Amino acid sequence: MAENKDGQVYTASGIPVKDIYTPDDVKKVDYNRDLGSPGQPPFTRGVYASMYRGQLWTIRRLTGYSTPEDTNKRYRDEYAMGQTGFSIAPDISTAAGMDPDDPRVSADVGHSGVPIYSIEDMEVVFDGLPIEKCSTYLADRVGGLLSPAYFIMAEKRGIPLNYVRGTTPNDLFTWSSMDLANQPPPDAYVRYAVDFIEWCTEHAPRWYPVSFNSYNPRDNGLSAVQEVGGLMATVIQYVDEEKRRGRIPLNKFVKRFAFNMAANNDFFEEIAKFRAARRMLYRLMKDRYGIDDPTCGQLRVHVQTSGSTHTHQEPLNNLVRIAYQVLAGVLGGAQSIHANGYDEAVCLPTEEAMLLAIRTEQIVALETGVTNTVDPLGGSYYVESLTNELEERAWDYVKRIEDVGGMAEAVKSGWIHREYKAAIIDYERKLDAGDVTVVGVNKFRLEKPPYKVPIFRPDPKSPDLLIERIKLLRKNRDNARAAAALKEYERAARSTENTVPAIFEAVKAHATPGELAEVQLRVTGGWTYPIAG
Amino acid sequence: MDKKRVKILMAKPGLEGHWRGMIAVSSAFRDAGFEVVYGGNILPPEIAATALQEDVDIVGLSILSSNYMRLVAETIKELKARGKGDVMVLLGGIIYEEDFPALKEMGVAGIFVPGTPLKDIVDFVNEKMSAPAHKGHKTHRAK
Repeated sequence: MAENKDGQVYTASGIPVKDIYTPDDVKKVDYNRDLGSPGQPPFTRGVYASMYRGQLWTIRRLTGYSTPEDTNKRYRDEYAMGQTGFSIAPDISTAAGMDPDDPRVSADVGHSGVPIYSIEDMEVVFDGLPIEKCSTYLADRVGGLLSPAYFIMAEKRGIPLNYVRGTTPNDLFTWSSMDLANQPPPDAYVRYAVDFIEWCTEHAPRWYPVSFNSYNPRDNGLSAVQEVGGLMATVIQYVDEEKRRGRIPLNKFVKRFAFNMAANNDFFEEIAKFRAARRMLYRLMKDRYGIDDPTCGQLRVHVQTSGSTHTHQEPLNNLVRIAYQVLAGVLGGAQSIHANGYDEAVCLPTEEAMLLAIRTEQIVALETGVTNTVDPLGGSYYVESLTNELEERAWDYVKRIEDVGGMAEAVKSGWIHREYKAAIIDYERKLDAGDVTVVGVNKFRLEKPPYKVPIFRPDPKSPDLLIERIKLLRKNRDNARAAAALKEYERAARSTENTVPAIFEAVKAHATPGELAEVQLRVTGGWTYPIAG
Repeated sequence: MDKKRVKILMAKPGLEGHWRGMIAVSSAFRDAGFEVVYGGNILPPEIAATALQEDVDIVGLSILSSNYMRLVAETIKELKARGKGDVMVLLGGIIYEEDFPALKEMGVAGIFVPGTPLKDIVDFVNEKMSAPAHKGHKTHRAK
């Protein structure tokens, strides 16, 4: 998506691109200091020595819709097709922490994800699926019940917590980029995320308790540079909080950090972005926090193809875009990849679209030969030069965020949201002027849509079913136990102690998402989303 | 004739959080000289109350989840209940083409899917607002 301004070519994030790169462009690169062999600091070439020769990336797609039963069926299908991990997309009621009979959310129940209100719902979602062999990503609300419910389910199945594998994002950057109702303020995110990291360090050491996530901010229009800068600023916010608390050694605290990034269109810039991000995390840990431990500062990243690049017009074109974006993730050294459904700008993905997405990853992995050697682009004059440039610009962006008070403050004040808005308006202007090309949309657009694709509709009856079910849950549980657990959660939340054990007890006592959120917001106060049109 | 600016309430009924399209369209409307009231995520009764209070000519809805039939129907019902049934309702987002006729039947004047040039949306509004068929409005083509 290179663009021309005054005859100069730029990357999508605005880095000038020369017509040719030579050894002169990388003469400052010191192999051991700046690249390192794969698996060696600063991890520019990859976090593992053998990379895909040792183990392929995990094929994991964010999925969830309608009801836990419907979602289970889809997870089983995906597993049968060769998907190797799961990723729960919660519906709006689950994400907002509102029970389905809450009138504010009733129209949204079962939309945009799967509603999960209890341990039993979680058990339905994973019925018949071997969670001991897979890892699962739980896109939970901060302080929500998905992670406790998943852990409790695992224990019931006889899987000890220190064997459970997966990720809870607990991420401020992406979560605060969505206009979700019923959310606590940014400081409360940081508090809970750090509580959860501390708790997992002790109890669930193979779990990733945080996944710093820039996917949605990127789809809100931020550039590759801003994406990486925002991620590092969020890391700083979290590590600074633990440093202030001083409860566990920092090298333990940072050991299980994971990341979730977008793969957008500018192929080489995206590859350079993943490489730069890895080097930056290592340098951040070493230079800023003095953590000189080669098992820390390893940026393990899940990559998802950018939904904002997919077009409603001629949706089959998105298959091509997605394949290139997957390839950028692979050449960028991703640990896990979600190829989108080609039809996501048209409807929720159909089964055929889901199968094609999984097949896209499998074809890249097993037919193209790109996995035969580790970091095949390492040493490319252009890629190394872009990696350097991206790193430099991303550090500048980190500084800008620190200048407005750090990530939590940048979110609270709406500074980051103004960045989104400016980026979106700028992109629309470029689209209108033809400075960016979207094939089939602002270039080569056909008068009449040339074909239609099949569409998928979720079951519109699901809200009533779920409302009945939660009423039954409230009726059948030990209400005194649930009330006591919620009271204990509130007490813990008002103190400075770790809130995770109290939330687990409340989930065990069948407290509902709405009740958990009510306690949370009573303690932290609400947060008004700071974007305005 | 008095030349009042076209006034538009932009809102997302329900709680789904994809606001990128609405920000882009709101900005294009402002650039076209319309007055935009940005409602953000508000429920159908609040949309109708705001439309009445702000005396808007148009309500622009943005929905990217698959529950738009219900949310649009609720919003139009609330508008009618508050005597704002004459307001022009526009809908943008991921809308299935096979639902267009039912939505138009419900009273949606224009439906815009992703990838629609912003200029086309502005042109649509200008054209509709200046059409003699659009009675009950004191507004005219914006500059």
